[in-house]
Amino acid sequence: MPVSELVVSVEKILKGMEMKLTDADDYLLKLIDELTGQCFRMVQPQAGYVVYDDFSVVEQKIRIENKSFDTGKIVASFLKNSDALVLFSATCGADIEKYSKELMKSGHALEGLIVDLVGSELAESVVDYLHFQVGSKVGEVDAGVTNRFSPGYCNWPVSDQQQLFDLLKGNQSGIHLTPSSLMIPVKSVSGMIGIGYSVKRVEYKCQICDNKKCILRKIE
Amino acid sequence: MSPEELLAKLSECVEFGKVNKNAPFPPAMKGMDGADELTKQALDMGINPEVILNEALIKAMDRVGEKFNQKKIFVPQMLIAAKAMNVAMEHLKPFFSSGEVKRKGKFIIGTVAGDLHDIGKNLVAMIVEGAGWEVIDLGVDVSSAKFLKSISENPDAYVGLSALLTTTMKSMQNIVNEIKREHPSVKILIGGAPVTEQFRAEIGADGYSSNPQTAVAYLNAQLA
Repeated sequence: MPVSELVVSVEKILKGMEMKLTDADDYLLKLIDELTGQCFRMVQPQAGYVVYDDFSVVEQKIRIENKSFDTGKIVASFLKNSDALVLFSATCGADIEKYSKELMKSGHALEGLIVDLVGSELAESVVDYLHFQVGSKVGEVDAGVTNRFSPGYCNWPVSDQQQLFDLLKGNQSGIHLTPSSLMIPVKSVSGMIGIGYSVKRVEYKCQICDNKKCILRKIE
Repeated sequence: MSPEELLAKLSECVEFGKVNKNAPFPPAMKGMDGADELTKQALDMGINPEVILNEALIKAMDRVGEKFNQKKIFVPQMLIAAKAMNVAMEHLKPFFSSGEVKRKGKFIIGTVAGDLHDIGKNLVAMIVEGAGWEVIDLGVDVSSAKFLKSISENPDAYVGLSALLTTTMKSMQNIVNEIKREHPSVKILIGGAPVTEQFRAEIGADGYSSNPQTAVAYLNAQLA
């Protein structure tokens, strides 16, 4: 995956510190710029996916091969009209996370925080690229893609990571799971995307989700 | 420079995050001595380390906390101030070890079992330490057994639990239950992106903190 395709938005880094662009002084903007540059030099993007066209969605469960994913009704409803499901993994590697921890440990908390936020943005950017590539590929035959969904969000239990990774079959992007189903490197994303002739990407509809504690919630 | 002037200058350096002479931030204090040099000068002048801590450093961090709460400054300025504070604290460490300077108390902190995210926990640890507390950081993915062991070793400590994921909030609940069963009088403060005051009440923790400054305010209030 070409690093040149990855994008980090300074606004999102500032948002991670509960700031807007107008709140930031030149010193902070320069620091973010420098650290973002360093992160780009150490990023190791990897992504992989497997397509399953033999699956079923019954109520709030998705069945692929002999695995049953308890995705919850929101994810199931978004994916049910798909003709196939793309199971994916993506990571920006372990070095950025390691660098953030080193900075923190040596007392450079602000720098460590910024590097951590840049790492999160890069991981999302890697999966954005993958999502775009999948969309482009199916777009050639006038099909579309759904939004992407990950275990741990939209009431989809994170423990389903284990069977998702089983189905990735060699496309785990160097990521491994802890016993509690978290990904290592931490700056990684995994999940499902639907593809088909009657699906499309839409705004995330957080208003229909009752999980008010979700850190990805996009509405108040 | 009189001792009072030196302490005022040191306090200003911490408040505005002037770490040392070479530090480029803040631009208005470029080339001036920072918290590092001024703390050493204060000790060389014979100023009592406890006075340095209480009159210069902690007062500076109190002002930082007030400004943060009033949204006059943001997380970056708070962290730069904490960095200057911690550099100054390095000079005072021998006096903590000898018992000549006493900290406010002990605070055990860790990210709960199953969760590997440590940024929020680290920031809280740093700011709490800067506010004059001894911080015992147990790291990430901390089991209830590890918290219980640390509490047994530090029975007068307060405890902080951090979680980033909604999925590890259950783990937080279990750890609170275990701690309360073994040490009912130990005060537990919880925090992290998905945590709310309502969740605190549900699981029987004693305090909820949405940011490092409210964690400091909670701990300081326990001493009042």
